[in-house]
Amino acid sequence: MTYMKTMITKALSVLMFAAVLSSCKKNNREVIPENPGNYILAVTPVAQTGKADYLVTASSLEEGKVSIIGNGVEQDGTYRYYVTSGTKFFSMLYGRGNPGAVTVYDVKEGKISKLSDFTAATVHAFAPVNKDILMVKVPRAYAATGPTLANWYIVSTETNVQTSEGTLDAVAASQNGEIAHFSWIKQVGTKIFAPFFSIKNNSFETDYPDFAGIAVYSYPTMQYEKTIKDTRTSFIGRYFTDGLAVVENGDIYAFSSSVAQKGGVLTSTKPSSITRIKAGTTEFDQTYLMNFETASNGYVITNWLYVGQNKFIANLEVKATTGAYVDGKRLAIVDVVNKTVSMVTGFPDAASIVNVTVNNYSPKDGKTGYMGVNLTDGTTWVYKVDASTNTATRGLKVEGGLITAIQHVK
Amino acid sequence: MQIAAHYKYIWLILFLIIGFSVQAQEKYTIEGMVRSTTGELLIGAGIKVLGTNKSTVTDNEGKFKIHDIRTGDHKISVRYLGYVESVQKLVLVGTPVIRQLKFNLKSIHNDLAEVVVMGRTAVKEVNRQAFNVTAVDATKLYNTTMDISSALDRVAGVRVRETGGVGSSFNISLNGFSGKHIRYFIDGIPMDNFGSSFQINNIPINVAERVEVYKGVVPMWLGSDALGGAVNIVTGNKHRNYVDASYSYGSFNTHRGVINAAATSKSGFTVQVSAFQNYSDNNYKVQLPSRLTNVQGPEISLPRFHDVYHNETLIANVGVIDKSFADNLLFGITMGQNYKEMQTGARPDEVFGAFHRRGNIVMPSLKYKKTNLIKGMDVTINANYNLGFERNIDTARASYNWYGLRTPKAAYGERAHTDAKYYNHNGLATAMVSYKISERHSVAINNVFSTFNRETKDLLIPANDKLDPTKKMDKNVLGFGYSYDIDNKWSANFFGKYIYQNNIIESKNLNNVTEKIGYGFAIAYFFNPNLQVRTSYEMANRMPEATEIFGDLENQDPNPTLKPEKSDNFNIGMIYGFSLNKEHRFSVTANGIYRYSSDFIYNTINLLSKAQGKTISNNKEGVSTIGVDGEVRYSYKNWLSIGGTMTYQYLQNLQKYEDGYTSESDVYLDQMPNIPYLFGNLDASVSLRDIGKKGDHLTVGYNLLYVNQFWLYWPSLGSSNMADKNGIPTQLAHDVNLVYSMKNGRYNISLEAKNLTDKPLYDNFSLQKPGRGFYLNLRYFFNKNQQ
Repeated sequence: MTYMKTMITKALSVLMFAAVLSSCKKNNREVIPENPGNYILAVTPVAQTGKADYLVTASSLEEGKVSIIGNGVEQDGTYRYYVTSGTKFFSMLYGRGNPGAVTVYDVKEGKISKLSDFTAATVHAFAPVNKDILMVKVPRAYAATGPTLANWYIVSTETNVQTSEGTLDAVAASQNGEIAHFSWIKQVGTKIFAPFFSIKNNSFETDYPDFAGIAVYSYPTMQYEKTIKDTRTSFIGRYFTDGLAVVENGDIYAFSSSVAQKGGVLTSTKPSSITRIKAGTTEFDQTYLMNFETASNGYVITNWLYVGQNKFIANLEVKATTGAYVDGKRLAIVDVVNKTVSMVTGFPDAASIVNVTVNNYSPKDGKTGYMGVNLTDGTTWVYKVDASTNTATRGLKVEGGLITAIQHVK
Repeated sequence: MQIAAHYKYIWLILFLIIGFSVQAQEKYTIEGMVRSTTGELLIGAGIKVLGTNKSTVTDNEGKFKIHDIRTGDHKISVRYLGYVESVQKLVLVGTPVIRQLKFNLKSIHNDLAEVVVMGRTAVKEVNRQAFNVTAVDATKLYNTTMDISSALDRVAGVRVRETGGVGSSFNISLNGFSGKHIRYFIDGIPMDNFGSSFQINNIPINVAERVEVYKGVVPMWLGSDALGGAVNIVTGNKHRNYVDASYSYGSFNTHRGVINAAATSKSGFTVQVSAFQNYSDNNYKVQLPSRLTNVQGPEISLPRFHDVYHNETLIANVGVIDKSFADNLLFGITMGQNYKEMQTGARPDEVFGAFHRRGNIVMPSLKYKKTNLIKGMDVTINANYNLGFERNIDTARASYNWYGLRTPKAAYGERAHTDAKYYNHNGLATAMVSYKISERHSVAINNVFSTFNRETKDLLIPANDKLDPTKKMDKNVLGFGYSYDIDNKWSANFFGKYIYQNNIIESKNLNNVTEKIGYGFAIAYFFNPNLQVRTSYEMANRMPEATEIFGDLENQDPNPTLKPEKSDNFNIGMIYGFSLNKEHRFSVTANGIYRYSSDFIYNTINLLSKAQGKTISNNKEGVSTIGVDGEVRYSYKNWLSIGGTMTYQYLQNLQKYEDGYTSESDVYLDQMPNIPYLFGNLDASVSLRDIGKKGDHLTVGYNLLYVNQFWLYWPSLGSSNMADKNGIPTQLAHDVNLVYSMKNGRYNISLEAKNLTDKPLYDNFSLQKPGRGFYLNLRYFFNKNQQ
């Protein structure tokens, strides 16, 4: 009995000690409540170690605050990729060659709720296609024996399970003997368009820097049909970057950053450009070429977000400092029909930006896009970019980290 | 060159001391036994030749021996807590040179004087040091199937985190420090470089006599750059002639065998052998998320199918003991091998079906010890060299799922195509000289030199061996200590350490020399014989370990840019014992710690590894730790013992700015994630003596392990709702055991049940440990006394 008493007394004093410690540990930080809504933001903490991504909801991207401090659904780890298909939000772990866990969520009454999880192969490109998500894993080196193959997987968004998988010849599409490494994949009508960079080794080097190619596959059998080729630009898109957009009339626009490389230097002689494939055709429109560098007075395009009505919000980088993995921190509105580039005002200085979110959201109303920005002062914001006035304004404030993705779930 | 210079100094000092005081004398040895007047053996009683500095304590059998006593009249005093001091006069002249003495001590009938609590007697002396130390009496655990690491799990402030069953990776957390913050020693010799075949997760408890756990400040004589603490396994020379053999069999096809034996001739020639073996299929069931089983709905359990572990180790020593030139001079060899199938990476998502490892140890060693080489001076020298290797084999041309189903694939290797042998070429030399200047003053010098040079033999593409960059590390720790001691009143230790490390990391073109100075003190004060208060401080430096810089080739990735860690280390503690009418005995131990570490070395999941399946060490700018731990024990007469430990530790992130940012970090002042912070143990045992017939005893024991839930990632981030946050759930494990011993411990049968309630247990996120298991253990012990 005495013993039990001692134990209890001790346990209590330990707990009290704990309580005192935890109550005095934090400076009084503003407590930001949940912000229920149908926007999902994936936020990666700034902390360098022991971190995971968090998913938080927001009711508006234009005002208010959200915080991952005390809020949000913790993901198992970071280096994740996010994609939305209809009412479902997919959180995928990038497994560096190994399978990674995929968790599926939806939004019920403004709150994130988990539906299921499954394991999928680590992939280099993924996109919603019909009621599926198509994922492709591309090799970076030739197979020692036999054909060099890429793997593809189709996951149903209705049942959340993989419904089919297969392989495709990773070399055939380039038609030059190099591996066609998909920069991204996109559904165009009933086909899959896969713009690629041709590489000969896992340093992503190529002997064909002045070459743009888009492989075309049938769906869902993923049969190779043809390669759409062009020599007026370097390759379309970038590593893990979608360089294709389908506009309202069915035309397809493609950008090239001109970042093909060999021996550690950029080797393309072609400027960063935008090209077009007319609706219903599978050839580049040779009558259309927009030299982005002259149109923008010396910038290259590193990424874009289609906002509708032929307008894009583009990330720009100065030609002199461009590189295969340099993400532009300046924004401009690009009208692909009129071939104009107009710098966006009201967006923070490139020098004060740590990171601009890659996976952003637009309702495709012809003018609005929402871009995530993390600043060196540690604050993170969603900026509303108005393509009709070429201006950016501060919207939702995000506390606790960098925005990895901004998505809207129905 | 630097290192050679250190040795010169040591030998210089040594020779100077020898030069002063060599003189011829007739030397006598006294030996004997101490009992109480009621016939009970008194273990740990203090024997002293009055007017000299010669003293010792009785061993586990109440025996003692003191050498090198000069001719003349002497008084021999024996003291034991709770007993009246006994003094015998002795005239040493002529023959024989070995004298036998017997002492029978009378108990003091004073309730408060008796502080001996059952179950802690033999290790009391260690526990009474000024350092924050706890000694585990291994002899009390000989009838269990424990290895050293599971015994440590019951010490206050200590948490052993395992990734699975027998032979799995372990990580000991001591007052919040873990991994390589903690250093391991066997008989004071660093175990840093022994390889996977001889580690605390495969050394059975029966090899040890006791296990000392130093929390925080580590005594200079252990000679290392430990910063979080140290574990010293003392094998001891318990008996001159004995056999101790045990064998156990249990769940998951687990077999363990241990044989310890020694034979010693009258002339002092001795052969000591210790051999042990572990084998387990580790095919226990683990609960898996639906994504890994493809079964929707509630989680189902599947057995681990590729997790066999076995190891076999033999340690043999040949030499002489109790000679004029050496207390012991032993040449030995440690030979062992292990085989380990890799079931998973750091997560169950990465599952393997063929990837495995092998390792071996072939380590010649030299041990030399001489007390009173010249009057008051003790010398210890140890050296060893590990010729063993580790080998990783990942050559399967397939992948596996959790059902063990093999799917062929074009490429080789489940994780990465590998078949390579790694020789670490570890060498170690230690020398220690201590000198007792007078009754109260003593000094000591200790030097430990170790070397590591990893050589890779790629068995797939041998041509790669030429390209293998040099991975080399030499380390030297030179320590100096001074201690002042008034018996049973107070003692003080002051020490300094000089650490030298040279890393050659060719892949990064580095050839770095780092030198660090550390210092500290430890003071103990006895208010009365039953109440001791102690405090210690150290400014400690810890160099990155070879495995942190070069990787462990298993689940730890290399980080060649890791910086040394520095820490201020404060400890305060007390030990109090009392009894009520001699039948109810209590002891209370309480410790408080504070640490501030800069460039804290911290292990996290490597975000850049495949499937985020490996860990890596990183520096954190600053981390502080506040901790308290305590132990309470109670015993009634000599048949009931109950004890409990409780630990609370709070590790706080003090890195204010993340790299590249000017504003305060969101996790500044946050609790460090993925570290258990509240845990404890409860144990109870009942011993029934002379059951059936005299000399047959039955012991029934119960142990409860408790670890409070903790978060995998930063606690302040995300919703604290369990469903939305990744955590390691609270663990409660109940173990019971039953030991029946016959003929006063010659034959023993024991039955153990572990994790009785079969609750899923986790030390690491989603890596489940074994469920309920039953083990039968048979042990034979025979001891023949020489005299």
